[in-house]
Amino acid sequence: MSSEPIERRVSYLGDRLKASRCQSCAKEYFEVRDYCTNCGRKSYGKMDSIDLFYDKGTLEICTFINEPTNKFTKLGSYVYGIVSFHDGKIKVPARLTDQLVCDGKDVDLDSLEGREVVPRFRRRYSVGKSDVVPTISLAFTLADEYYPHQEYHVIQPTKDYELPGIVGYGAYSSRFRIKEEGLERAVPFIDEDSVTAAVEAGKLALIHSGLNSAWIGKVYAGSESNPYAVKPIASKVAQVLKLGEEEGDLQGVDAVDTEFACKAGSSMFKDACALVSYPKSGIEYAMVIGADNSQAAPRGCPGGELDAFVGYGGAAFIFGKKDVVAEMEGWYSCTSDTPDFWRRDGEPFPMHGGRFTGDPAYHKHVRKAASKLMERLNLKASDINYFVPHQPNPAFPVRVARELGFKEEQYSPAIQITKFGNTYSGASLVGLAAVLDVAKPNERILLTSYGSGAGSDAYLLRTTSQLLDKRQRQKITVRFQAENPFVEYVDYTTYRRLKLGM
Amino acid sequence: MQKRPAIVAVGRTKFGEHYGKEPEKLIEEAWLAASSECSIERKDLEACYMSDCLLPITNKLGLEEGFLSELTELHVPMEVTRSFSAALLTACHAIQAGVYNTVLVGGIEKMTDRWDKIRDDLMLLDDPWSYYAGATPESNHELMLRAYIKKHHITGANLEELNLALAEISVKNHANAAKNKYAQFQRKITLDQVLSARKSTHKPLGLYDFAPVSDGASALILTSETTAKEMTTQPIYVLGCASATDYLNYPAREDLSRFLAAELSMKSASKTAKITSSNLHLIEVNDQSTVMEMVSLEDLGFCEPGTAWHGIHEGCKHGQNYYEIGSRQLFVNTDGGLKADGNPLGATGGAQIFEIYRQLRGEAGERQVKLESGLPEYGCAVEFEGFGTKAYATILGVKYDE
Repeated sequence: MSSEPIERRVSYLGDRLKASRCQSCAKEYFEVRDYCTNCGRKSYGKMDSIDLFYDKGTLEICTFINEPTNKFTKLGSYVYGIVSFHDGKIKVPARLTDQLVCDGKDVDLDSLEGREVVPRFRRRYSVGKSDVVPTISLAFTLADEYYPHQEYHVIQPTKDYELPGIVGYGAYSSRFRIKEEGLERAVPFIDEDSVTAAVEAGKLALIHSGLNSAWIGKVYAGSESNPYAVKPIASKVAQVLKLGEEEGDLQGVDAVDTEFACKAGSSMFKDACALVSYPKSGIEYAMVIGADNSQAAPRGCPGGELDAFVGYGGAAFIFGKKDVVAEMEGWYSCTSDTPDFWRRDGEPFPMHGGRFTGDPAYHKHVRKAASKLMERLNLKASDINYFVPHQPNPAFPVRVARELGFKEEQYSPAIQITKFGNTYSGASLVGLAAVLDVAKPNERILLTSYGSGAGSDAYLLRTTSQLLDKRQRQKITVRFQAENPFVEYVDYTTYRRLKLGM
Repeated sequence: MQKRPAIVAVGRTKFGEHYGKEPEKLIEEAWLAASSECSIERKDLEACYMSDCLLPITNKLGLEEGFLSELTELHVPMEVTRSFSAALLTACHAIQAGVYNTVLVGGIEKMTDRWDKIRDDLMLLDDPWSYYAGATPESNHELMLRAYIKKHHITGANLEELNLALAEISVKNHANAAKNKYAQFQRKITLDQVLSARKSTHKPLGLYDFAPVSDGASALILTSETTAKEMTTQPIYVLGCASATDYLNYPAREDLSRFLAAELSMKSASKTAKITSSNLHLIEVNDQSTVMEMVSLEDLGFCEPGTAWHGIHEGCKHGQNYYEIGSRQLFVNTDGGLKADGNPLGATGGAQIFEIYRQLRGEAGERQVKLESGLPEYGCAVEFEGFGTKAYATILGVKYDE
């Protein structure tokens, strides 16, 4: 039954937690209502839709579930209860997510009840391999832990910039990590995947930008771990984040997925810039997302060497020409047909060309793109404040940075592989977000992505004073997630189980 | 004046797993048992009201009326409802309206045929949004218990007593079922078993707090008063029969610590029956869980909200099979209840009526309730569909006031 129309309808209603409020008596309803039962006919058509997506609720009561129904068995055990919004005006069923609970004795229901919680967009339950992946936002996390509640305020932009650039951004990674030999890598919770990471990153970018989601005219989602061979991630992002003007149950936005290994997202920066600059596009803002639940075969299997480096997460950047935090000063791209890393259709894990991925692949392309762009813009390494390379492992980015003449203080703020692992399409973008989190106005950032197959995009960005103005809007920064005291470490077996998902 | 409906015969199967029997064999067994109690023939039946909750899902039977027609070789009107009480209510309306004089009311369920998927079905049908959020058929009961404890500020020694009282409900129901040859679990259990099942999973409620999944069927013959008097010396009158509804989505309900529909249906049935809770000493409640049995006592007006556990514990602490509510004895689920008698959804209400019928006629054998005044004269059965989404209250009596 999982691919029946009901699945889509439940996602449509549940992904965003739609609710209604009567204009006259203020009674609230979970789900969409056309009239109020208190006020009857006179309230018809006078119901406000209210949004619980950016709201926070209270976990009223809860219990521990150790024998879930069939579709939830992969979750094992979890806490389930009732969450209220707006002083109990709305009460919804709720699953507490991002909690690894194996035994009921580890759960203190009394201490959980009364806590504030944030609705999270997650997979709903397990389905067959050929079925539509059901999603829902009736999953919640504790607001005083890894992911605090953040309000979403729309702020009218005031300042026009000559060049297009980044208006807002957000990076997201999960609460779980595996720590091996000095390398920490993010592990998705079992109900997370590349789609939920893309939505989370987009949500954080909207909060940071202060833009009305309706102003976004295009969204690009780049990933190499889309759960579908055919069906875009971007459409889910557009629907859940309500990108573009709402037209009934359609969103007035162009949404497309892109794929070029790890540069699927970053490659679209120039397209987004071009789009918002074209006077007749009618598009003021475009969102670019790179997110992955980075795939790797288990250790000991062909392709298993990647298993030591893969992570989970992504970042989203909104491009526009108003209230820009970093202007786009130029770019250069190069491409060759180099099969260093690939995944055949229908295969669950990518294959890897071993040593071949170093010099003829990563280094050659990254070096070329970065040096060519510096040459074009007449810049030396010392003219650039931060270098953000793609980071498939801890060694490659450092080597290429040094070859290009960058010093440690220029490249180390961008190196996030050691904290989140290789987030594939998200890797260079999370690095860029980390740099923007700490950069000062009027600084130059050289971003150089790399995608196997192979190609590299180099971008030169220059920060503005807006960067500081917007910084306080984002609590969930890259560093906040990397150094979060609520991070939970898991062992290899758990990591594989969580990564394979529901 | 409206005609008064009366029950002249009842029948049922054993509840439990009937692996080798088709659903129609079960209803046949129940119907034959009922018909053999009085001189009813198939041709006397003017209509049939049957209930099943999940047959289309569990046994892929979409048009139950057809197989009942084939079984009985009858072509009379037949209707299907989800619960036995709903079938009985509809049948009563027909008798009262004078449309029919003699009808068959039957209920059937064969849940074990879908053993591995039944919990998903039950939860999804009971409350879809909760299912999508991860609820199980048990979780809402546990949430209700927590809501109850919070609302009534039950702490410390009182909380311990409440948890004990819930366990005592299960022990009492099993003790009753041990004397019921039709029951699914005809064995006693100990307080320790109930408590350690909770403890082993670190959950508020454990294995012994919940009713099982069951197969079974039940049936009764309902006639108008005049016809009833021709058939039996002691008809059992349906004095009041009413239902009420509540939201499908449990979290959306205003008060999470009780079942509003139970209260409303009971009030309405009592009004028609001209019977108040003070006349009732014999009740069958829908104990899908021990919490449900406890809360029901309050919803039905036997005691104040937040106090039932005390009366339960007072009654049960010395091993009695009744509760002490106020200063009187209340016999609840004398057949073992859903917990121990079994809970084949569509047939469950029929077993409740079966029990009250036997008790009021003094035919309950070892389980017979004897009050100081003699045999009980009235009894009440309350059945739910879903998690209190629908409630049916049926008040039966050996006599009636004009």
